[in-house]
Amino acid sequence: MQEAATAGTALSEPEFAELIDALAADPHRRGQLTELLREDHPLYDQRGTAATVRMRGWILLALARAEVPDAALLFVLEEFDTGTDAYLLAAAACALRSYPSPNAAFAPFVLRAIANIRSFDDPVSFESYGEYALSSTGTSPVRELLATLAWLGPHARGVLPEVEALRTEPGGLAKKLRTDVDRAVEAIRGAGPAPGPGACCVLPAGLGHALSWTLGSRGASEPVEKTVLEDHQGESITFQELFRGHPSIVVFFYTRCDNPLKCSLTVTRLAGVQKLLTARGLDEQIHTAAITYDPAFDLPERLRRYGQNRGVLLNARNRMLRAIEGLDAIRSHFKLGVNFIESLVNRHRIEVYVLDAQGRIAASFERIHWDEQQVVDRAVEVLEAKSEEAAPAVRGKAASSAAGTLASLAVAFFPKCPVCWAAYLSFFGVAGLERIPYSPWLQPVLAAVMLINLASLWLRGRSTGRMSGFYLAGTGALAIIVSKTGPGWENAALWGGALTLAGSLLGALAPSFRRQPCVMSETRS
Amino acid sequence: MAQKKKAAKSSKSARKAKSPAKKSARGGMAVAAGARKPTEERIAALMQVPLAVCEKDEDLQTVLNILRNQDEPIELRLAALQVIQAASFSVVTFEPCRGAYIATLREISDDPDPELRQRVLGTLAREKDGFVQKKLLEGLQNPEKALVSPEKALQLLSYDVHADAYPVAREILSKSPNADARREAIRLLAADANTAPVFEKILRDKGETTEIRQMSAAALNSVRPDKLQEYARAIVLDDSEDDELQATSLTAITQFGDQETVANDEALLAHVGELKNKATAKVKQGARRFLTKYGR
Amino acid sequence: MNVELQINNSVSPGARFVSWAPSPCRIRVTNPSGATSPTVNVQITGRSTTTGGVVVFRSGTTGAFGNSLTLAVPINGASVSFFVAGRFGRPSINNGDVTIEARTGTTLVGSVPVMVRVRKNANLLTAGERDRFVSALAQLNNQGMGRFADFREMHRTSISLAQAHGAAGFLPWHRAYLLDLERELQAIDLSVSLPYWRFDQAAPNLFKGDFLGVSNSLGTVLLSAANPLRFWVTDGVPGINRRPFFNTASAPPGLFNEAQTLGLSTQYRLFRNMEGNPHGLAHTSFGGFIFSPGTAPRDPLFFLLHCNVDRLWAKWQKQNGRFDPALAASYDSNLPTGNRIGHNLPDTMWPWNGVTGGQRPPTAPGGPLATSPGATAPGPSPRVRDCLDYQGSLNPISRMGFGYDDVPFV
Repeated sequence: MQEAATAGTALSEPEFAELIDALAADPHRRGQLTELLREDHPLYDQRGTAATVRMRGWILLALARAEVPDAALLFVLEEFDTGTDAYLLAAAACALRSYPSPNAAFAPFVLRAIANIRSFDDPVSFESYGEYALSSTGTSPVRELLATLAWLGPHARGVLPEVEALRTEPGGLAKKLRTDVDRAVEAIRGAGPAPGPGACCVLPAGLGHALSWTLGSRGASEPVEKTVLEDHQGESITFQELFRGHPSIVVFFYTRCDNPLKCSLTVTRLAGVQKLLTARGLDEQIHTAAITYDPAFDLPERLRRYGQNRGVLLNARNRMLRAIEGLDAIRSHFKLGVNFIESLVNRHRIEVYVLDAQGRIAASFERIHWDEQQVVDRAVEVLEAKSEEAAPAVRGKAASSAAGTLASLAVAFFPKCPVCWAAYLSFFGVAGLERIPYSPWLQPVLAAVMLINLASLWLRGRSTGRMSGFYLAGTGALAIIVSKTGPGWENAALWGGALTLAGSLLGALAPSFRRQPCVMSETRS
Repeated sequence: MAQKKKAAKSSKSARKAKSPAKKSARGGMAVAAGARKPTEERIAALMQVPLAVCEKDEDLQTVLNILRNQDEPIELRLAALQVIQAASFSVVTFEPCRGAYIATLREISDDPDPELRQRVLGTLAREKDGFVQKKLLEGLQNPEKALVSPEKALQLLSYDVHADAYPVAREILSKSPNADARREAIRLLAADANTAPVFEKILRDKGETTEIRQMSAAALNSVRPDKLQEYARAIVLDDSEDDELQATSLTAITQFGDQETVANDEALLAHVGELKNKATAKVKQGARRFLTKYGR
Repeated sequence: MNVELQINNSVSPGARFVSWAPSPCRIRVTNPSGATSPTVNVQITGRSTTTGGVVVFRSGTTGAFGNSLTLAVPINGASVSFFVAGRFGRPSINNGDVTIEARTGTTLVGSVPVMVRVRKNANLLTAGERDRFVSALAQLNNQGMGRFADFREMHRTSISLAQAHGAAGFLPWHRAYLLDLERELQAIDLSVSLPYWRFDQAAPNLFKGDFLGVSNSLGTVLLSAANPLRFWVTDGVPGINRRPFFNTASAPPGLFNEAQTLGLSTQYRLFRNMEGNPHGLAHTSFGGFIFSPGTAPRDPLFFLLHCNVDRLWAKWQKQNGRFDPALAASYDSNLPTGNRIGHNLPDTMWPWNGVTGGQRPPTAPGGPLATSPGATAPGPSPRVRDCLDYQGSLNPISRMGFGYDDVPFV
């Protein structure tokens, strides 16, 4: 049986449907369904939008038959927030009703979905995969959404006036839906405690949309730093040149997006971000960029026109860009939520990133509509963290300078034995060389050196009966590893280096080693 | 204040009078539904009040029933489609009717009448309806299931640049059943910017028909306008080139060429000057416009 | 002696355009040499080419127009106002084909070329007028990369279509939309105005290769080699799809003719049902882009269709005296409940108001309504009420600077 993780475009749609049904039926494999909702899953590569819709809808319906886990909830709410396809919205509405418990926070999403889809309330069919409704007597997205409001019951009391308005406004909802509206109103008004104040805005825990990506966790990506981008004026610039030295807010879009709630709104909001930055006097310190998913089509003139028409400020600090040689490196680096048929996007999520001054991803806002103020606040945090790092960076710089001086002295006393080599390289490598930017190729080398050092200390310790050197160096190695896990831990590298050196020296000074002193050269001045 | 009172009174009395439009709508629907009435009369009745189609559910059903009923005269069914589609422009007031309309269109998408079928498929294709895209693609892959000609299917699929039509369009481009299909395949592929090299190749190939080369020029222009300018220049300078293509190339340069670049291109300016005197009528016309713009 | 003539109270060449409605003008002495008294009598006349426009004058905001006007102009440089308008029935064909001349005695002391620029029947355009329009439109589209994309976006999604259809604001919204487009065309070529497709009459010249094209059986529009619309691109796809369901040598059947449309009612709330017939049926007389509301603006014919819709409204207004928003019959305020947002007289209109979210679409493409050097109305963010008195019949300040060849001012 095909596994979800390895499913790809070779799968025909009927085979896909079979896979989904099998996963849904198996409680031990059901969890894989959520992963299949990721836009960048190979399953969607080279599929048209209509096929993608059918596939995603079927996954949502499968979830509806079982239970929607928290991990899938974001996809469901995303559909309510920005979806414009009748089948997907109907399936999402159906899926939400299988969530373990209603939550007042869902109600505004459901209402927004009704507003988005009501003029396109096309009939849909859930009977079998790929089936389209040929009659309007079945279900439709608005019908499903109203049923979901009924399911929310008293949890939707916060939006009761809007729901009641659906049946009182002139024209509007079809008569046959009035019954569904009435049912929803009745359920909302029904017995049961109303949620507390503020409940409307509290989504289930774990649904946060701000994620911090740490350096190293995207280590498998191609070197994005050298990727050449072309901006709205036709000027070429590398990723590194563009993003180093200042925090940046980056959005993704493309000019042929036909969902007005996605790209067009994203770029319009970017203009809003720029205004906020300007108002706070931060426009020179925090830059913005909009990168297209469609670099072959979105030539500079198109980029410029698209941005200008949405009020985006365009200059050297605020650019709209395309990747000249293709999107692969960028796509891989950001793990973009997008897929393609030929060069055309078939579906993408909303994604906004805050990069720090090294061009690393500090935060991302995905799927649900992002708030300009929130994004700007996050970028300001990154800016302020950069300022704070400048102080330790100054200390680090001083430490590095000292390390440099020591290195010169150390060269004068260069040992001739491999163990000491390893000790020296470990110390200088991890404390000093690690700060050289864009040198990921050094890291495996340093790691290997560190291991050699540890191995040699262990052997040495075994031979001398003194393991203290090994333990110290081992602790130092651990500290160096911890320093790479995220912002705020960088200083651990210094401790790690010091412990490594101490451990190495201790091991080197053990009695049996004294019997074979290192021969050190003398400095010639 | 007096003016406001006057306005309100006028409004009230206007509403009191029974609206002739409403009377006409009721009567119109009754005539349209009357199977024994002459077809022309029924069509005229339908055309009188398109907006009324969506006012009452029974009126909507009347029109949809006409549309789906194969026993009704085809002219009447086409008129029903025209009228309900006209009503759909009033998007908000059409909301309650849309679901039933779309369902009916899907239901009759394989209607035996080719004209009605084509119009129905076109309407759904413009809505980017997945149902109709699937049918059209099936027809292209399996001619026995085709509801329209391959060129029409490609044209309808091109309404949605995100449709699954690119692989089949490439196949048709390489193995075209006819010239129209080839042309529509090029047009559809124009949405994929990576196909630019194919368009360049066809444009360069003097063995291709003028129509196909023209379409390739248009396709290239939509994805790589800078490239099209280069080719346009080369075509204008080549006296062995097709007249139509030369005339089109002159238009491309006149309308969209970079003014500074063209104004400094003495070779081009001189050659176009010659064309103005020596070439065929359509090339002369293009040359004259070009020279007028560049002050020669 | 020299005088300066300001048309539309401006020296800008972009302001030298008049329609049937009187345009405010000024004259002042710039070089008083030879003057022997504090004021000088200046006679203002228009000199036209044989086929050119003809202008008429009057000194104030009321009174009859004449072929000439004599003004006492102080030699100290102070301006004297007057008004000029095109003589109904004699629009210009080319820019500057009528010259306003100022004379003292027989001496010419100042002149300025102007154009009587009005919207005309597309089927009756000269080749020059047609070519200039088509060229400007193609440039606005700019191979899919131009400003035209905004006009396409404004008429695409259900929520944006709701701002403009199915309620009272249908006519005012489209009037503003067309004006915005026309002014963008005039920014490319000042001599261009938007022509109208008179859909109740045969318009064979419109459906030719040099104009909006001939449709083949597939519905592909074929254009002549020199027609710049060959490079028309919308939604990333080149070309135009249009398949007439009638013989274009005649008018489409089933549509109300002009008399029937104007006779729908003297009340706006009933007259606006013309949204169904003839407007909706004109759209659905063709297969292709123009058949569906979300794709209609992809066909240039869409704008000519709506220009005729607006002309019919303008004619109905003239016939019934419906320029005053305070008059209930002039508009459908749907009292007491009111209309949807954007359809009430005091409402500003999307997208020009820049308002997004809530009941308005999520974005507002295109920004404020384009300006014109020749008219200040309706302003960058027009309200519904601002779109009624388009010729300034009640209030000269409301004049928008356009008119129709067969709808007079007086």
